[in-house]
Amino acid sequence: MLVDIVMPQLGESVVEGVVVKWLVAVGDLVVKDQPIVEISTDKVDAEIPSPVAGRVAQLLAKPGETVPILTVVARIETSLGTALPAPEGKPPWDEETEGFPGHMARKTEPPIPAPPRVEPTAPPPPPPPPLSGRMRITPVVARMTAEYGIDLSGIAGTGIDGRVTRKDVEEYLASGGKSAAKTAEPVAAAAPTPSKAPAPAPPPAPAAAPAAAPAAKTAAPAEGDQVVPWTPIRKKIAEHMVASKHTSPHVHTFAEVDMRKAAAHRAIAKKEGVNLTYLPFLIQAAARALREFPAMNALVAGESTVLKKDIHISVGVDTEKGLLVPVVRHADKKSLAELAKAVDDFGARGRTGKISPDELTGGTFTISNPGSKGNLFGTPIINQPQVGILRMGQIVKRAVVVDAGGEDAIVIRPMMYLCLAYDHRVIDGVAGNGFLYRVREILEAGDFS
Amino acid sequence: MLVTYIEAIRQAMDEEMARDKNVMLLGEDVGILGGAFKASQGLQEKHGSDRVVDTPISESLIIGAGVGLAVQGMRPILEMQFIDFISCGFDQIVNSAATLRYRHGGQTACPIVIRGPSGGGVHGGLYHSQNPEAWFFHVPGLKIVAPATAYDAKGLMKSAIRDDDPVLYFEHKFLYRRIKEEIPQEEFLVPIGKAALRKEGRDLTVITYSSPVHAVVKAARDMASEVDIEVIDLRTLLPIDWGTIKASVRKTGKVLIVHEARLTGGIGGEIAARIGQECFEDLDGPVMRLAARDTHTPFAPAMEEYVLPNQDKITEAIRKLAAY
Repeated sequence: MLVDIVMPQLGESVVEGVVVKWLVAVGDLVVKDQPIVEISTDKVDAEIPSPVAGRVAQLLAKPGETVPILTVVARIETSLGTALPAPEGKPPWDEETEGFPGHMARKTEPPIPAPPRVEPTAPPPPPPPPLSGRMRITPVVARMTAEYGIDLSGIAGTGIDGRVTRKDVEEYLASGGKSAAKTAEPVAAAAPTPSKAPAPAPPPAPAAAPAAAPAAKTAAPAEGDQVVPWTPIRKKIAEHMVASKHTSPHVHTFAEVDMRKAAAHRAIAKKEGVNLTYLPFLIQAAARALREFPAMNALVAGESTVLKKDIHISVGVDTEKGLLVPVVRHADKKSLAELAKAVDDFGARGRTGKISPDELTGGTFTISNPGSKGNLFGTPIINQPQVGILRMGQIVKRAVVVDAGGEDAIVIRPMMYLCLAYDHRVIDGVAGNGFLYRVREILEAGDFS
Repeated sequence: MLVTYIEAIRQAMDEEMARDKNVMLLGEDVGILGGAFKASQGLQEKHGSDRVVDTPISESLIIGAGVGLAVQGMRPILEMQFIDFISCGFDQIVNSAATLRYRHGGQTACPIVIRGPSGGGVHGGLYHSQNPEAWFFHVPGLKIVAPATAYDAKGLMKSAIRDDDPVLYFEHKFLYRRIKEEIPQEEFLVPIGKAALRKEGRDLTVITYSSPVHAVVKAARDMASEVDIEVIDLRTLLPIDWGTIKASVRKTGKVLIVHEARLTGGIGGEIAARIGQECFEDLDGPVMRLAARDTHTPFAPAMEEYVLPNQDKITEAIRKLAAY
């Protein structure tokens, strides 16, 4: 039987097509779906497959000829005396080498060769010999060995096969084991710091130091001494203080701030029956300055700095259980009155122990206000993983020289030493000093609206 | 008030349906029967048959319908009568629900909760004992929670219903009526993404979730004189609370991960790998895992005991790690 092959309608608006090239000759055997002709229309170019298997009987159009759609261009004889050829070895589309039809095809690229099978050239190494003399240690012990400069051979291991465990090292250090001088320093430095720098609520940054500070020496109590075991909150504070000093190279820089306008504002508020402390003034000034110095409103995460979008200021609150550091959220969006209210609220709830853990997290910068008595200035410890902390000194009246209409004059002003500690890993001197100077400017300008 | 784990789930659904008229419940026998386990008892009577809907036996349909409802602004809870059959709705979850927000550039969400009884220990055989969390742990766009207490069951269910993304809520049928717990009368939520410390300790951390939490805490208490164990109950499996895990690893240096799901390809492997990579210098021993043996959950009680983790196996694993 003769089967007609027609010029297909490739698209609704197409009325004719060009025969570009015949892919078969008269007399050729074709299998079903084998492309027999290349055609070209206004919309697409295509290969037309044979709808049947058989022998090509007639080719009715010449290459280059334009014919209307549905015109017969070839005929194929399907009733054959001889057996049909088997399909050619290569299928019309080889997914293995040509990818999937459509835009993902990678016809031009060679097939990806299978990875070679590699046989080991040498026999596997023999299992390690039993431990004798040579010591195997865990990563944490390796790290502590380097940090504290200790010689493990002097420690009796209690782990499997006499392995020295972390606990063994801690006990060794706690019992006054010879740790190198360099490591005693950060531990000792943290303890006597007079500052009431706050304990950070978030977990320490990944780079943080060992969680527990091993005691440098045992302080054996004598008769009459009182031994006060650390409360959980005290342990937390201790851990964080040591971790912070260990993690961040602190730079402390001071500004002398004229608090005249803040004091005046406070006096007016007092007449109106509102008791303001100076802390809200500092929070407001710091929040404004942080907007201008985004590098200071940041957290350290591993080996990168996260510049925080929101400004949440941590403030130290003394409670019966110890120091807590709740967070004043969106401090830059709060008025002085709202800041004062937030601080008072923390103070009141701090005394009754009702500050929730959620309120202790998320701070991006800290202000420490250690009270007034005899506290001229001090050097705070950074609340990790933040990068800066401001510490207020006592506000005292001092004679200072000011410019009075072009003349130097000595006047009495309420002055405060303000200390900024910043993490010198990420904050350079220019940024640190600039920020502190700006806080001072804002406080002295006296615009607390 | 004293409630069972399953009653906590029922209360959470009831309260959320009362709070928000867009919350619905779809599933096989959830309506007239009140659920095969009675997790939805009384809900159809109270909230109507147009909000507590009995469906044909087709998990794919239940989840697919839920996705459509969610797109139209509803917050459907979709019950799988046994969580084993969640696999019948796999495509709707991983290709439809989980990708919806992504496909629309964040402009639409898919606030559905898929919940159902998971877990073994009840001689349910291989079709009624599975823990399918690992299949979905691999899929971005999903959240997975697995509460171990009545408090968490209620608080997490409420958070899941209010969440704008698809949440898979795997409740453990072994705990349904074995847990009886005082929970607050007033409303509370448990945030998704926060683990809970079940016990503090200095020597070794056990990370677990769902039913094994109870065996681990008991083992830790029983062993208190020999080793000081910290127990983390993950509560949310996706996203995992890495902050809590890392803080604990930094403290103890030794970690055992326990889950009832199978060992190979279980989520413990991901946790172990990440601890190995990010806490390497804090480790004082190999991160170890205890999980179900790599086979199906047998029906015979003795064989089931052999396959699933239990307190004895937990104790043994802890001893081994503590001695390292």
